[in-house]
Amino acid sequence: MKIIERLLLTLVFTIILPICSFTTLARAQNPLETPIDTLASKVNKMADDISFLKKIKFSGYIQAQFQVADSMGEKSYAGGDFPESVDKRFKVRRSEFKTMYDNGKVQIVGNINISQDGITIKDAYGKWSEQRLKMFSLTAGIFNRPFGFENTHYIGSLETPERARMIQVLLPGERDCGAMISFQMPNASSFHPLKLEAGVFNGTGNAANDFDYYKDFIGNIHWLSTNKSEKLKYALGVSYYYGGVRQGTSKVYYMKADSNGIKTFVLNKDSTNSGYGAIAKRKYFGIDGQISLDFIFGITTLRAEYITGIQPGTSSSTTSPSTQPNDDTYMRKFNGACFYFIQNIFQTKHQIVVKYDWYDANMDVKGDDIGLRKFAFTNGTLIKTTNSADLKYTTLGLGYIYKVDYNLKFTLYYDKVTNEKSSNLSSVGYWKDLKDNVLTIRAQYKFQ
Amino acid sequence: MKRRSILIALSLYTSLNFAQKIKGSDTVLPLSQKEAEMYMKANKLNKITITGGGSGVGLAALVDNTTDIAMSSRKIKMDEKMKLQDAGRAYKEITIAYDALSIIVNNNNKVTQLTREQLEGIFTGKIKNWKEVGGEDLQIVVYSRESSSGTYEFFKEHVLNKKNYATSVLSLPATGAIVQSVSQTKGAIGYIGIAYMEKSVKSLKVSYDAGKTFIAPSMASAKDKTYPVVRPLYYYYLNSLEKKVKPFVDYVLSVEGQKIVEQVGYVPLK
Repeated sequence: MKIIERLLLTLVFTIILPICSFTTLARAQNPLETPIDTLASKVNKMADDISFLKKIKFSGYIQAQFQVADSMGEKSYAGGDFPESVDKRFKVRRSEFKTMYDNGKVQIVGNINISQDGITIKDAYGKWSEQRLKMFSLTAGIFNRPFGFENTHYIGSLETPERARMIQVLLPGERDCGAMISFQMPNASSFHPLKLEAGVFNGTGNAANDFDYYKDFIGNIHWLSTNKSEKLKYALGVSYYYGGVRQGTSKVYYMKADSNGIKTFVLNKDSTNSGYGAIAKRKYFGIDGQISLDFIFGITTLRAEYITGIQPGTSSSTTSPSTQPNDDTYMRKFNGACFYFIQNIFQTKHQIVVKYDWYDANMDVKGDDIGLRKFAFTNGTLIKTTNSADLKYTTLGLGYIYKVDYNLKFTLYYDKVTNEKSSNLSSVGYWKDLKDNVLTIRAQYKFQ
Repeated sequence: MKRRSILIALSLYTSLNFAQKIKGSDTVLPLSQKEAEMYMKANKLNKITITGGGSGVGLAALVDNTTDIAMSSRKIKMDEKMKLQDAGRAYKEITIAYDALSIIVNNNNKVTQLTREQLEGIFTGKIKNWKEVGGEDLQIVVYSRESSSGTYEFFKEHVLNKKNYATSVLSLPATGAIVQSVSQTKGAIGYIGIAYMEKSVKSLKVSYDAGKTFIAPSMASAKDKTYPVVRPLYYYYLNSLEKKVKPFVDYVLSVEGQKIVEQVGYVPLK
């Protein structure tokens, strides 16, 4: 019996009392904490962490493609020129990785593109949205120029592998460095479909520093809406670009007709040595429209975009420069357009696209007049003949798209390129249509 | 013990893996909840989780593939269709029931009926006092759902004739919050799906013929189509998930499922 008592006493003093005193002590240290409180506090912390993480978004895509060109070393706007001894190639056309922080008020975006051509910055901007009226936002940094339709939409969302030639020539790289104000009425307003954007940019694209003091203005007004039955979506927009390029020399050439009415480049009378470093005007006017209809046989989209204006270039190129040109300046009136027909085959993963575009680099001269050397100007006017940079190009694109799922789509696309012909450019082969068609087979992997 | 833990983990994994997720319209929410409850009673292995948030939220989740069924009190929008198309996702639209959208006021409000034009005036801010529509001298406090709600859009399109809500309208995140706010505010007015109707608030008769006839929202008036503000309620799901969701959708459309529609307070298809 005594043994049992001793055992009980030992049990009480060695185990039970210490446990009781420890529990009491623990309660004294944190008198209100219960397991549910602990769990609740952990859940709250996790909710805070998740709320922060939800503000950060990663997205990106990789476009891997195989292309077959009509000829070796083909000059091409279907993903860049082919090297001299190449008519077939595998290429990572684009692989963009985008990081975005968005807390509803401020958006910060960084986007890089990695390809065989190197690493380039695509986007690096901040956007602040005012919270009182919820109508204005200010964007600053490197971002898409607010001009037209194709230029403002990322290529991964478009149905064709590349943008139209006119966009690649006039607005290469799609982005520029600058600042922009946007205006859009709140959701509840009947004017919500209307959006205005206006900004000032370097005018040199995303990959280069500015080389002149002149800044370019770009603005657009767009209306995007759907009908009551939600079976029709339509959009209409107008865009304006008013900028300039610092002249590389004092000489500026404009198109002028001789006594026979044939036009060629004539040195501007006002051009003197003081003209060196002056600004050659760069002016574009654009109009674009889209309509999408939900028919029983699938969604049909029709899209059109037209741009016209004045482009300062060199004798041999009309592409907007990203560095200071060193040659004389040639002013050309141009126009260009692109038209899309896109048909989803019922509600399936299959889609077909037909695209037609043209870019006429110099509207003042046509056909055999390009490269013509017989001009009747008096008083020793300095003239320069037009050349292959003044030709018009049309491209008919036919494509088939198979959307495996959200992350992967395959595109089979054929570009049939036709150039304007001139017997006066036979030495460089433009007396006939060049062999410069391209077949593209592309896989696009996307994540978000 | 170890084997038991593995079995529990496996069954948890299986149930989570095969659980159906339904997300979207707060109007459809109580109906889906009741349907799911009864369906799970009969099909014990099936698990269904349901969350609200609004039709826009549900359809966005369908685009993102984070829900199996999107509940909606409005038709899918063109933008949403195009997003689904871009993702190569075919979808099905199923009408599961009809709702008589009810206009509610505080029980102490003497007004019992309004014309569509008066409703338009109140919600667009032109009519600000109850005395302008036959009530007492009391400021009108207007409650609405948020813009992600299908009910918000339906009301704007069919009652306000696509005119904008006044900026003074107070937006609430859920239908239940509208019922509660209207019940606590004497001068309040709001709109709700008929299934949310409670004794703490009063529904108004509505006229769509400039005041000639006023009809109260009810099962009978919705069924015989005399009540003018009736709308379909939808389920949307991806064709690729049809095998997974069809048994539940079929249950909702079945005689038993349509009885539940009526029990919850909505109007069955037939």
